[in-house]
Amino acid sequence: MAVGCVLLTGASAGSAAAAQAPVGLGTAASFAILAGSAVTNTGPSTINGDLGVTPSATVTGFPPATVNGTVHAADAVAAQAQADLTVAYDDAAGRLPPEAVPADLGGMTLTPGVYRAAAGLGLTGALTLDALGDPDAVFVLQAPSTLITASDSRMTLINGAQPCNVFWQVGSSATLGTSSQFSGNILADTSISMNDSVVLAGRALARNGAVTLINDTITAPHCTTPTAGTSTTGPTTAPAGGAAPAPTGTPAGTTTADSITARGKTGAGPSAGNAAAGAGTARLSPVVPAIAMLVRQRGLTTCIRRGFAVAVTGRFIRRVTFTVGGKRVATRTHSPFQAIITQPGGMRTVRAHVLFSDGTAARTLSWRYRSCLAAAGTAQRRVGSPSRRPTGNGGFTG
Amino acid sequence: MGTADNRRPSARRIARVAAWFGAGVLLAPGAAAAAAAPGVSVIAPRQELVVLLGPHTVHRAPTAGAPTVAVVSAARPLTGERTTLPVLGQHTDSLGRPWLQVRLPGRTLTGRRPPSTGWITTTATRRARTDWHILVTIDDRRVRVYRRGRLLRTYRAIVGAPTTPTPRGDYFVEENLRLPGTRRGAPYALALNARSRVFQTFDGGPGQIALHGQGNLGGKLGTASSHGCVRLTAPAITWLAARTRPGVPVTIE
Repeated sequence: MAVGCVLLTGASAGSAAAAQAPVGLGTAASFAILAGSAVTNTGPSTINGDLGVTPSATVTGFPPATVNGTVHAADAVAAQAQADLTVAYDDAAGRLPPEAVPADLGGMTLTPGVYRAAAGLGLTGALTLDALGDPDAVFVLQAPSTLITASDSRMTLINGAQPCNVFWQVGSSATLGTSSQFSGNILADTSISMNDSVVLAGRALARNGAVTLINDTITAPHCTTPTAGTSTTGPTTAPAGGAAPAPTGTPAGTTTADSITARGKTGAGPSAGNAAAGAGTARLSPVVPAIAMLVRQRGLTTCIRRGFAVAVTGRFIRRVTFTVGGKRVATRTHSPFQAIITQPGGMRTVRAHVLFSDGTAARTLSWRYRSCLAAAGTAQRRVGSPSRRPTGNGGFTG
Repeated sequence: MGTADNRRPSARRIARVAAWFGAGVLLAPGAAAAAAAPGVSVIAPRQELVVLLGPHTVHRAPTAGAPTVAVVSAARPLTGERTTLPVLGQHTDSLGRPWLQVRLPGRTLTGRRPPSTGWITTTATRRARTDWHILVTIDDRRVRVYRRGRLLRTYRAIVGAPTTPTPRGDYFVEENLRLPGTRRGAPYALALNARSRVFQTFDGGPGQIALHGQGNLGGKLGTASSHGCVRLTAPAITWLAARTRPGVPVTIE
């Protein structure tokens, strides 16, 4: 704990460095508000996204509040969203390795990773989340008990950080102070209370208790691929002048991955990550866009049932070595730099070690997903008949 | 019930099959020599396949600038099964990109006589192979099933009538369907990429040829009385369907 305080106080940047996959919200992703017992509003709040409550069906104060979405009260959609929220909550609570943070995050700058407080988390003043130029960077903040923000507290998201990739796991209840501007998905075990004029770029998702609003604005975020070097202050997107020295656009020599679970890691050596070392670029992604989309939208709560191809694209690529779980899958020395991934069920990380021909430092890209592919032996044999029932019309010549 | 009879492919059949596999498919050791010698089984022991993981543009030649002859989707239209195509040859272009010459599906392509082969890149593909082969002989109205080049079963069948003949040629199994009991051809159908040369449409389909059962159709085994498809008894097609996956080559002669 003491070490964490030393590292993270003041304006220094803390880093819980392990690359994290996003917390998959499943069907809860369409909800700006989800509650277990009630949703209660006072004043003209604005909700941009769906509103749901289950098993209770109590929704009060709408109007005067406005919901730019669908209200699901004790219906199957809300029930499914609550079920998905439970999975997401457990996922967020179990993320490792957490780095200790003090009870008050005010004045800190955090880089992507997992952070945990000893008990409750609080925010007085400003908190900065720095994605280091990776728009897919994920921040998981674990509060074993409460999350409480002071009045007029702020969050600033810089260098590509996005509210959609910020997850607050709250062991009991969250309270956002008057006029605070907050970002991220709040996954609370009990309740969420928002005082007057709170602006939340995120989601208020309460498993068992109520969500209470007073003249607030909640906007369920959707991930985009912003340009590195921009920043988001509070719940609204705006350039943060001088907040980050990152260049505009994708810097030469950087390595990106086209997935919400992807991470680019610099290779070993002091020159790794030096944009001036060369103009090589590389990007790791599944060949079939639907797979990338699936993981991007649902994270690791869904699994991929079939083998699929991944490819590295970019400039000045000389050789790519693909590994899964430390086992080499393929080495490619010419385009297309791709490999077929058929590893059986479980959490898997595809890594691509990329060498460049122009002197750019080597990079290792990774892409994490969950597989539910049958083990190789059973996949080859495919238990049962290979016949399938027709889903389309049309017969044969007889 | 099928039996492993003593009949062997003719010299003409041998030449046809050998020519098919000459474009890159593995031949059994000594198969080329055996091809000229009647009385020796020369069905190749295996067929290289490619499974499409995404839609593919098919080119007439193995270069990106060659004319496009078709676009093949990653899933088959009747079952949604992944598209699996026999590989006839390989080529690496001047940019170092590998290409595969493949046999093309027939159902989703346009035109009365769509192209039967073409070239695709290896992007978004997975390689596979099969050691099964089905040989339909119209003259003696029999279906022979081979595995690893060895004859396993011979079944009597009903083939196309003279006015609606079963088209001869080299084809493959596109889809393996388990048909409801009310459907014609139940209980199973192995849909081929072959199309009737008489019917452009039939029973709601594009005149697609299949090996299937006799359900709701009937007919007498050993006759040429179908509309072009190859009908087998229920036990025969059941045995065959349990072992045949998409991509298995089918020779009709």
